[in-house]
Amino acid sequence: MFAKFLDDFRFITTCKKYGLGLWQCPNFLFLMMGLITIVAMVGTFFVSSRFASEGTTVMSVTIEVVFLMIIGSSVIRGVEKVAEANIMKTEFISIISHQLCTPLSAIKWNMEVIETERDTKECLPEKQMVFLQNIKKSNEQMLKMVTDLLEVARVDQGKSVFKESIFDLADLAKESIVGFQGMAIEKNVKIESQIAEGPQRVCSDEKKMRVVFDNLIGNAIKYSKEGGKVEIKLKKNKEKIIFSVQDWGVGIPRYQHSKIFEKFFRSKNESRYRTDGVGIGLYLVKAILGHCGGKVWFESEAGKGSIFYFSLPAQS
Amino acid sequence: MDTPQKILIIEDDRALQSALVEMLSQEGYETISAYDGQEGMEKAEVEKPNLILLDLILPKKDGYEVLAEIKKGSDKNIPVLILTNLEELDNIQRALDLGAKTFMVKSDFSLRDIIEKIKENLQK
Repeated sequence: MFAKFLDDFRFITTCKKYGLGLWQCPNFLFLMMGLITIVAMVGTFFVSSRFASEGTTVMSVTIEVVFLMIIGSSVIRGVEKVAEANIMKTEFISIISHQLCTPLSAIKWNMEVIETERDTKECLPEKQMVFLQNIKKSNEQMLKMVTDLLEVARVDQGKSVFKESIFDLADLAKESIVGFQGMAIEKNVKIESQIAEGPQRVCSDEKKMRVVFDNLIGNAIKYSKEGGKVEIKLKKNKEKIIFSVQDWGVGIPRYQHSKIFEKFFRSKNESRYRTDGVGIGLYLVKAILGHCGGKVWFESEAGKGSIFYFSLPAQS
Repeated sequence: MDTPQKILIIEDDRALQSALVEMLSQEGYETISAYDGQEGMEKAEVEKPNLILLDLILPKKDGYEVLAEIKKGSDKNIPVLILTNLEELDNIQRALDLGAKTFMVKSDFSLRDIIEKIKENLQK
């Protein structure tokens, strides 16, 4: 607590880090405001007790207030600059992501033309098809990253579009699991699933819920050890549908638990094992579930693995 | 033999345009390409296509202007399908209010999905 208080006084380092001048740095300006208030109060007391003239007292209090207002307006401008920088950053991500979507869609569609040609005329040798599949896979990864970044920008700007409908969550979970079979085989990870019988209806955005499943299941496989196991469960509990995915992989150190759903956060443990990813998956998972009355939580221990849960209100 | 149905593609990105042209031709459609909003409006007027695929961000005239003009004129019954990378709710609502039949996001749709949507709208 005291160390944190002392940290606030290292404003020169903080200002440099955020690219702010000293007179735009809120920490410095608050300190200045405090000092001026103290000096002005002592000064007012000194003047009024020595000279006891009403006019002098009023004048010194007025000067004090003027100083405080000047400093206060600088504080406001400093805070505004930080807020503006945040908005600009979100807009920048949004513009760049939009711009990237067109060439990435072009690669995707042109790949599809080549694949169709191959299927109908067999015009490409098998070896070239392997390389084309590599391009397709990389492009899909890039497109996913860009669309996720766009979604993060929309969440931040409060512009996320939810196309709500009632659908079967069990089917969606099964589809996502099928989508990860290739990755699981590649990593020699066994997927075991227990999906409750019958339709498990929820009201949400189906496309966005697929993002939730893909992130949670994808993470469990990614951070599993070679030859490990991932256990997926989906069951109905009273009025809720509860999903869980457990791995026995790298886990998350306890001191990082509170940060795991933060934007652009990557666990130290995680980056040691993998270099890809930008740390937006769980941020999106939380935002999507929060919008539909759902909840996400987890238990994890470094070196032992993690279990992520989410719940959503069931629909009849 | 039936006359092939005509599809006007108003899309300024040449790589996207050529992929669409190729796939639609393989499906037996006749395609007409326009690379900006002005050219798109002129070709819609002259060629009288059965369906229009329209991007929203276009040079000269944007997709909304093109859509509004088409829906005001004699070609108002031609189904217009929006094909864009703008996914915000206000973009979707504005295009649908102006009379677009469907709103498709390029990064989410494969060419196969687009062809399905075209078939659905040509049957109506």
